[in-house]
Amino acid sequence: MLESLRHSLRRKVILLVLAATVAALALTALGLVIYDLRVYEKQWTDDLNTQAEILARASAPALAFDDRRTATTDLTLMKVRPRVLGAALYTRGGELFATYTKPGLEAVAFPPRPQADGYTIEGDQLRIFRRVVEGGETIGTVYLRAYYQPWERVRDYLTILGVVMLASLALAALVSGWLQSAITVPILEVAHTARQVISQQDYSLRARKITDDEIGQLVDSFNAMLAEAGRRAEALREADRRKDEFLATLAHELRNPLAPLRNALEILRVAPSNPALAEKARSMMERQLNQMVRLVDDLLDVSRITTGKLAVRKGVIDLQATLHDAIETARPLVEARRHELVVEMPPEPIAVEGDRTRLAQVFSNLLNNAAKYTEPGGRIALTLAKDAQEAVVSVSDNGIGLDPASLQSIFDMFVQVDRTLERTHAGLGVGLTLARRLVALHDGTLTATSDGRGRGSGFEVRLPLAGAVRSEVDKARHPGGREGSRRILIADDNADFANSLGATLTGRGHDVRVVYDGAEALATAARFNPDFAFLDIGMPRVHGYEVARRLREQPGTAKCVLVAVTGWGQEDDRQRAREAGFDRHLVKPADPADIDSILKSY
Amino acid sequence: MIALGQAMVAVALLALAPLNAQAQHSEATETSVKAAFLFKFAGYVEWTPADFAAEDAPLVIAVAGAEEIAADLARIVPGRIVYGHPVTVRKLREGESARGAHLVFVGRQESARLAAILRAAREHGVLAVTESDKGLELGAAINFVAVEDRVGFEVSLDSAEKSGHRISSRMLTVARRVLPKAS
Repeated sequence: MLESLRHSLRRKVILLVLAATVAALALTALGLVIYDLRVYEKQWTDDLNTQAEILARASAPALAFDDRRTATTDLTLMKVRPRVLGAALYTRGGELFATYTKPGLEAVAFPPRPQADGYTIEGDQLRIFRRVVEGGETIGTVYLRAYYQPWERVRDYLTILGVVMLASLALAALVSGWLQSAITVPILEVAHTARQVISQQDYSLRARKITDDEIGQLVDSFNAMLAEAGRRAEALREADRRKDEFLATLAHELRNPLAPLRNALEILRVAPSNPALAEKARSMMERQLNQMVRLVDDLLDVSRITTGKLAVRKGVIDLQATLHDAIETARPLVEARRHELVVEMPPEPIAVEGDRTRLAQVFSNLLNNAAKYTEPGGRIALTLAKDAQEAVVSVSDNGIGLDPASLQSIFDMFVQVDRTLERTHAGLGVGLTLARRLVALHDGTLTATSDGRGRGSGFEVRLPLAGAVRSEVDKARHPGGREGSRRILIADDNADFANSLGATLTGRGHDVRVVYDGAEALATAARFNPDFAFLDIGMPRVHGYEVARRLREQPGTAKCVLVAVTGWGQEDDRQRAREAGFDRHLVKPADPADIDSILKSY
Repeated sequence: MIALGQAMVAVALLALAPLNAQAQHSEATETSVKAAFLFKFAGYVEWTPADFAAEDAPLVIAVAGAEEIAADLARIVPGRIVYGHPVTVRKLREGESARGAHLVFVGRQESARLAAILRAAREHGVLAVTESDKGLELGAAINFVAVEDRVGFEVSLDSAEKSGHRISSRMLTVARRVLPKAS
């Protein structure tokens, strides 16, 4: 029973209904029995008293006129009360005058003398005496003896309860049978489907919806979860497949440069004295090594993407300069495949907030893809434009194009458009994934368009304009600015020292900010993103060690070169500065030549 | 107290009577039983205020003949109250009318005068009790009869009504015979 309960919802429902019914009935019966036992004695004695009173009144004339026959007839009236076992009349003198014994009973002894008014309970019998009063005079006594069996009554109650309970249980069983169809059948349906899904691993199965109540909602939710689980299982299989392909590709790509490298080494070994051959071998090794470096860099980026550690270091940058960087990077491949590269850019600079290196990586990737996936001698167009809020960079070609179906999937990790074609071009299939992720980190979008296979393709990058800090870009492009210009923050409460150092560095073409305490240094650094910070240690409000620690914590200044400039030059001072995050330590008065060498060495 | 004691003796006699219904005692017990019944009859008649001169006027039982019964009755009644009225006994001399009494008993010794006394009693609204075989036919309301050595009585509702009285139906349950009212 218990074992089947564990497994059957239906039995549980039935048991629940039955238990509730039994409990309710039992409690009701218990209450009734207790109440009735309390009432029973009073009711029964009151009743018998009344009987005695009526009997006394009726038999008074018989007593008065000494008529035993009538008296006996009067007592015989008690026949209608089956619980009355016996009745008797006594004369005023206390003599037994007339008696009645319930028919069928053996003759019972009556008390020889009457007792005082009142009742007594002896065993299962109740005895009552009552005086007969006529015209103000006592003329005799009535005696009644009756059954008094409360337990018999309780037994009757329990019998009734038993019958009622059996009937109720039958009814409850019917009700729970109905409940089963209303509640458990839909649930069993879900359970059945769940078992099937588990055993067959078939996520296309669906539970049948029978009702519109909460169970119906459960069925809907269950089906929705099945659909979701099916999608995820499919996605997992797909991701797994792509990863396998990626590993195969990776092994292939990593092994590809090894054969030429070994060959080159062999050439150097067998012909060390042939300079022309050695040069050829050396340049081959360089090309292959660069290829391997690029592969490993891509691998590192893949790792950063999957672990969510891909980060960009933002500053306001000039998009045209960034694009020139990208063109330079892609130029070898473009030229090797004899493509025509058409570049269109507006004359005025377009500034965005971003990481110049990473964005250049994005654009060069797009250019390289265009060069790769276009037959030699093709045409590649790179245009830069802007609308109200965004800068728009588009790279288009007249190459192999894209299926409409793959317009989205090419951005998935390890997806390559044409695996047969890909075989001729090195790559891991992570370029576009990485590009789109990098653009997203700049709050921008990267989308692909194509009129179809063989009809060329276009990629468009949209980046938010950095309008507010435009002036900085202008300044950076100002003729005064030159190659080697650095952003430098100087913080010292000695204003003369700070200003003079600032003037010197500005004169050498650097972008310099001068502040006079630690708090100001932190505030300025957050906006300015300096490449170098020359910090005094004993500054008001926030001392130099603390400034260094906080600058190291901020992403914008984490890689800033920190130089402590102090009056203390003991080894423990230098040690403390290193622990705070300083890269260098200068002792006042600082030699300008030392400062120059520091600026050049980073 | 004395009166009560006498009453108790009377009732005791009444109670013992059937048990000691021996031949040698029958005469004595019969008179005392009849005396006690006469007194009890008064309790089963539905008297009205018009039957009494005053609220505390006595209820008078007249006895014609039957000296022993009269004597027994006289012993019973002192101190007894029926419906708020003391009970007295009056012996009826020859030629005397029962007028003024509430109940009149005519002994069997007075059979010659029986009809005349009953006529007068009815005229004056007195309930008549006899111990004659033809008592009821002659106009008595209640008549003693002997039943198996015991004293019983019969009732004529017609005669009672003609004398202006109603007898309690409870008393009728022990009457040997009840003559109904003339409709």
